[in-house]
Amino acid sequence: MGSNSRIECIFFSEFHPTLGPKITYQVPEEYISRELFDTVQVYIITKPELQNKLITVTAMEKKLIGCPVCIEHKKYSRNALLFNLGFVCDARAKTCALEPIVKKLSGYLTTLELESGFISNEESKQKLVPIMSTLLEELNAKGECTLPIDESNTIHVKLIDQRKDPLIVQEYDVPVFTECKDEFFRSQWDLTTQQILAYIDGFRHIQKISAEADVELNLVRIAVQNLLYYGVVTLVSIFQYSNVYCTTPKVQNLIDNKSVQEECLLYVTKPGQKRASLRDVFQLYCGLSPGTTVRDLCSRYAQQLHRVDERKLIQFGLMKGFIRRLQKYPVKATRGDRSRPPQLYTGCHSYDEICCKTGMSYRELDERLENDPNIIVCWK
Amino acid sequence: MKKKVLLMGKSGSGKTSMRSIIFANYIARDTRRLGATIDVEHSHVRFLGNLVLNLWDCGGQDTFMENYFTSQRDNIFRNVEVLIYVFDVESRELEKDMHYYQSCLEAILQNSPDAKVFCLVHKMDLVQEDQRDLAWSSIVYQLIPNVQQLESNLRNFAQIIEADEVLLFERATFLVISHYQCKEQRDAHRFEKISNIIKQFKLSCSKLAASFQSMEVRNSNFAAFIDVFTSNTYVMVIMSDPSIPSAATLINIRNARKHFEKLERVDGPKHSLHMRMR
Repeated sequence: MGSNSRIECIFFSEFHPTLGPKITYQVPEEYISRELFDTVQVYIITKPELQNKLITVTAMEKKLIGCPVCIEHKKYSRNALLFNLGFVCDARAKTCALEPIVKKLSGYLTTLELESGFISNEESKQKLVPIMSTLLEELNAKGECTLPIDESNTIHVKLIDQRKDPLIVQEYDVPVFTECKDEFFRSQWDLTTQQILAYIDGFRHIQKISAEADVELNLVRIAVQNLLYYGVVTLVSIFQYSNVYCTTPKVQNLIDNKSVQEECLLYVTKPGQKRASLRDVFQLYCGLSPGTTVRDLCSRYAQQLHRVDERKLIQFGLMKGFIRRLQKYPVKATRGDRSRPPQLYTGCHSYDEICCKTGMSYRELDERLENDPNIIVCWK
Repeated sequence: MKKKVLLMGKSGSGKTSMRSIIFANYIARDTRRLGATIDVEHSHVRFLGNLVLNLWDCGGQDTFMENYFTSQRDNIFRNVEVLIYVFDVESRELEKDMHYYQSCLEAILQNSPDAKVFCLVHKMDLVQEDQRDLAWSSIVYQLIPNVQQLESNLRNFAQIIEADEVLLFERATFLVISHYQCKEQRDAHRFEKISNIIKQFKLSCSKLAASFQSMEVRNSNFAAFIDVFTSNTYVMVIMSDPSIPSAATLINIRNARKHFEKLERVDGPKHSLHMRMR
C-alpha cells in the first residue's frame, strides 16, 4: 500500500433535526477541526441534488471523500435520514483507489439501515466506532479489510491499485511473456486470450498471431492489451537480422544489479551449453550501435555468440530496456509526384508498420524507396 | 421588479410548509411529507405580473443559523425587502429562539436597515388556514408597489357600479391584495375564508383538467360575481341591490378590466374610468 493513499481519518456525519449537520463519530478523535467542518459541511450533508453521489472536496490542506446518503421515510423526524461515512486524506494524496471503497461502504450502511435500522437505532449506531477504527487500521496496513457487523452481515473492502493505461497495441508489435509462461493459469482468462496464448512466443507479431491462431486482428490486439495492463506481457519489436539496435543508459543495470545478471545469463544462454559469461554478454550489448545490424553483430562477435542465442539476447535487452530499436521512417522530401502509397511517407510511420499494412517485405520496401529520389529515410 | 424576502426561524417551525401552501399550491396534508431544508432554498415567485418575489427559505438548525450570522452574513442579510421570522408557539427553548431572533435583527439593521420585519407565530399541529392567509396577505400587501393607487381605483369602481364590496385577488395564490367595502360587514375573517374556498375549488377543477374561469352566486339577499380580472388578478363583486341585473354588472366588470390592466403596467399613463350605467 503506497503512502500515497493513506487514510488520515474516517468520519461519520449526520443531519440532526435541531442541531443540523454534525460529525457524530470520527477516528482518530478531534481530527477534523470545527473550522474545516463548517467550510465543507454543505458538501458532506448535502441538498437533494448532490445526494447519493461520490463527492471529494479539498479544503485547508485536507481532502474529504464521502458519499451523502438520504433515506426517505415518514418514520424519521423530518421524513428523512441523512448521513455520510467518509475518509480524510492529505490534500496532495492520490485518492482514486479509495473512491470505490467509500461508495461501497455507503451502500453497506444503507442496506444495514433498511434491513435493521442499524443507524437510526442509538445503540447499534455506536458499533460504528470500532468498525471505523478497524477499517482505518487495516486499510492503511494491508489495503484490505473484512469485518463482521452482526450475525448476518460482513463487510469486505479492498484497495485496487490503479494501473496506468496500457499502450495501444499495433499489428507489428510482438508480445513476450514477462514471467515464465508455465506459471500462467489459462483457465482464469477469457476464451480469446486462451486461444492466442500458444502463439505468444516473443517472436510472433500481432498480425502473425491473428493469422495463425485464426482470431480476428482487433480481438488479438485487445486481448494482448489486457495482458499488457496486468503486466503479464510486454511488447518488443519484430526480430529481423537486418534490425538495428543501440544501447540505452539502462544497460548499466546489467553491471550493477546481480539478480538482473542472473536472470539475463539464464535467459540468453543457448540450451545445452555452459552458462554464458557476463563479459561476453555485455560486450555483445555494447556492440549494438547505429549502423550495425544484428547480422553485422553476428559476424563481428561470432566467438561471444558461441553460447548465446542472439534472438534471446535481443529480446531480453528490449524487455529490460537495455537496448532500443532504431526504426526507419521514410519521409517524402518534395511535393508533387505521387509514389504509392503516398500517405504513409510522412516520417511518422516506420518500416515495420508500412510492411505490415501493405504486405510488402522489408527488402521490397527498401528497393522501392531506394529508387525514389524524393524519399529520405530517417533513423529514429 | 425583484424583491428579496427572507424566511427565517427555528427548525421545524413551518417555514417551508407555509411557503409551499401559499406559493406552490400545496394542501396542508402534502406538507407533512416535506423534508428538512438544507441551508438555503431559493425560489422565485411571480406575483402580479411584474413583481418577482425572491424567497430565501433558510433552514433553522443550529449549524445553519450560526453560519448565517458569521460566514454568510453579508450574502444573506443584504438587499432584503422583507424579513419574515417564524416562531413556533410550542417551543420549549424560548431563550434560544429569542437569541437567534435578536441576532437576525442586528444583522438586518446592519445590512438592510430599511427592511420590513414581520413575525409570525405558528402552531404546527393546528392548521389555521385563515390566520395564515391573513398573515401572508398583509405581508404581500407591503410589497405591492402601487397599492394606494390600486385601492383608490377600486373604490371608484365600486362606487360607480354601486357594489357593496369589491375584492381583488392575486391570480396564482388567491391572496387578497386590495378591497373596498361601503359598510361594516359581520365576518372579519371572510377574506381568508373566501380565498380558501376558491383555492380548494380551483384545485378540484384542475384535477378534472378544467381551469376555473368565473362564478356567480345568487340568493334573495345578494349576488356575488367572481371572475378573471386582469392578467394577474381575479375580482369579486358583491351586489345587494336586487334591481341591478347580472348582465349590467358583468359588462361593468368587463369595461373596468382594461383600466386596471393599464394600472398594472407601472409606468402606464393614468386614464379615467368610463363605465356604462344601467
